[in-house]
Amino acid sequence: GTSPHPPSKMKVLVGVKRVIDYAVKVRIAADKKGVELANVKMSMNPFCEIAVEEAIRMKEGKTATEIVAVSVGPKNAQEQIRTALAMGADRGVHVTTDMRLDQELQPLAVAKLLKEIVEKEAPDVVLLGKQSIDGDCAQTGPMLAAMLGWPQATMASELTFADGGVTAERETDNGTEVIQVGTPLVVTADLRLNEPRYAKLPNIMKAKKKKIEAIDAASLGVDLSPRIEVVEMNDPPTRAAGIVVEDVTALVDKLKNEASVIA
Amino acid sequence: MSAAAVDLDAAADIASMDLFNPTEEHAMLRETVRSFSDSEIRPQALEYNRKEMFNRELFNKVGDLGLLGVTVDEEYGGSGMDAVAACIVHEEMSAADPAFTLSYLAHSMLFVNNLSQNGNHEQKLKYLPDACTGAKVCGMGMSEPGAGTDVLGMKTTATKSADGSTYTLNGNKMWITNGTLDGETTGDAYLIYARTGEKRSEVSMFLVDKNMPGFTLGQKIEDKLGMRASMTAEIVFDNVVVPAENLVGEEHGAALCMMRNLEIERIALAAMSLGIARRSVEVMNNYAAERQAFGESINSFGQMQRHIADSYAEYMAGRAYTYNVARHLDLASYGNGLDADGVKLFCAKMGKDVADRAIQVLGGNGYVGEYHVEQLWRDAKLLEIGGGTNEAHHKNMVRDLKRHHTTLK
Repeated sequence: GTSPHPPSKMKVLVGVKRVIDYAVKVRIAADKKGVELANVKMSMNPFCEIAVEEAIRMKEGKTATEIVAVSVGPKNAQEQIRTALAMGADRGVHVTTDMRLDQELQPLAVAKLLKEIVEKEAPDVVLLGKQSIDGDCAQTGPMLAAMLGWPQATMASELTFADGGVTAERETDNGTEVIQVGTPLVVTADLRLNEPRYAKLPNIMKAKKKKIEAIDAASLGVDLSPRIEVVEMNDPPTRAAGIVVEDVTALVDKLKNEASVIA
Repeated sequence: MSAAAVDLDAAADIASMDLFNPTEEHAMLRETVRSFSDSEIRPQALEYNRKEMFNRELFNKVGDLGLLGVTVDEEYGGSGMDAVAACIVHEEMSAADPAFTLSYLAHSMLFVNNLSQNGNHEQKLKYLPDACTGAKVCGMGMSEPGAGTDVLGMKTTATKSADGSTYTLNGNKMWITNGTLDGETTGDAYLIYARTGEKRSEVSMFLVDKNMPGFTLGQKIEDKLGMRASMTAEIVFDNVVVPAENLVGEEHGAALCMMRNLEIERIALAAMSLGIARRSVEVMNNYAAERQAFGESINSFGQMQRHIADSYAEYMAGRAYTYNVARHLDLASYGNGLDADGVKLFCAKMGKDVADRAIQVLGGNGYVGEYHVEQLWRDAKLLEIGGGTNEAHHKNMVRDLKRHHTTLK
């Protein structure tokens, strides 16, 4: 498609997800249907932080002129939008829902909701984290791109915008891949894309005045129902102590017959 | 009589109010400072404690975050926040390195906040922007070699010239945090209290700049027990001529400046003790869960449980007291001295006690720098002396209690 805005005046839509803080020791809930969320510290998904940072750098580098931060979640998801505003985003969109973000509300539904927001906001770039640290699905970005019929640069570790397009370096299991993509596009941010800034106090104060628009998810005419049901969740098995083997023969025997990792 | 209807909305509001983060901005501030403290302040603590040096580079980074002028008007480069915000910054930074935080306090509260509250527009315009960015590192001089708790017993004099255009300062000030930044010269600017009249209360406050002729570093104080990364010094005034424009507030009127600023200073110091306590509780709680003895985690043993539980409860009590006082504090006013003294008195001892228990829980490991708590213990002791000794608080509090609080609310 064609980009809604000229190359030096792009509009960026950044997705931010509310997740359990990365430093928290997660516990399984008593009913084993999921993790315990009550009284647990919540934060912005670390990859979303990287996406926000990249959007702000685009604005500072005079590639973008407007950054809109969007989050799908409960009332408290506003905190994550406010943090994005404090980092430098211009305004926020809060798609409200009380569905659990780590299980019930799944990437397919989120991608559909984001598509509605994209059609409303007409951004040139959608910047998302490559995955969230609760679901680890890494699906929302690619699904959204497909729904929009847009190209995608996922697992991006470097982005260079020029002449209305972008050169993206992608981190893959086989190494780094460099691709050339046109706008509009969906980008998902990988760890090495940047180091997010701290929200400075003057910007925290400025964020108070920035607008957040709330939209009820149910009003967007999207089927949000989950396609996957979590039946049971358990702690990983306690790691058994290691043993020291006598020689290579003993090692091969154990690998074959006990660990079953070689044929 | 029928009972009044319960306002459930009000009840819900009461439950949802977070005493320690009253607004979203406060919560975001705490998040930023905690994150910064964990990744930038904590790792340098041991090294700068060992070197007894001020970490200027780190101080500049704190300036970049906009934290040096937390309570200052945006017009002068600050962030225009309140006493609660000041507590948040001091608590979070102190959990990582109380010594660095003390230098921050001397700059941001003793100089920056003081000038912001008591200075005129020209003075604020001249000093605050640089102080808020960290371009200048500043402090305050009140105590002297011969006068600490008896602050109005100070002997440094400021003699007005015949034509009233200058004051000449003579004397020395002692225990000045940020009194030097390099061990050889003074820091950049100070608010200095000096006697301008015969009567005990006739004291005035002046702005004194580095390199003013006659203003020198007396000595850097070496071999301190704690707060070692915060440079403390004696500074000397030998016929230092300052222009009359450098008088802050009214002549003979510094007691007002003192009263205003001492409240936020004491609350910020109390918040430092809170940070020390919080980190100590975290360390001992986690250690006691992992450390094994006699086939069990040591947190199964009653004495360890007592150390941890007593510490947690005392910390929370101090925290609630401090933040409650902070949220009522109007920085431009004074008159809340009783509770400002009270929080410092309580929290200083509490921080020291909690750090002590943390060392005890960690045993031999607690005695070693790597485990952090020994530094917290050494740093904690200062809070019972600096910014008001325990004894000074006792004196002030009883004076207030007998005069104004014969019954309590």
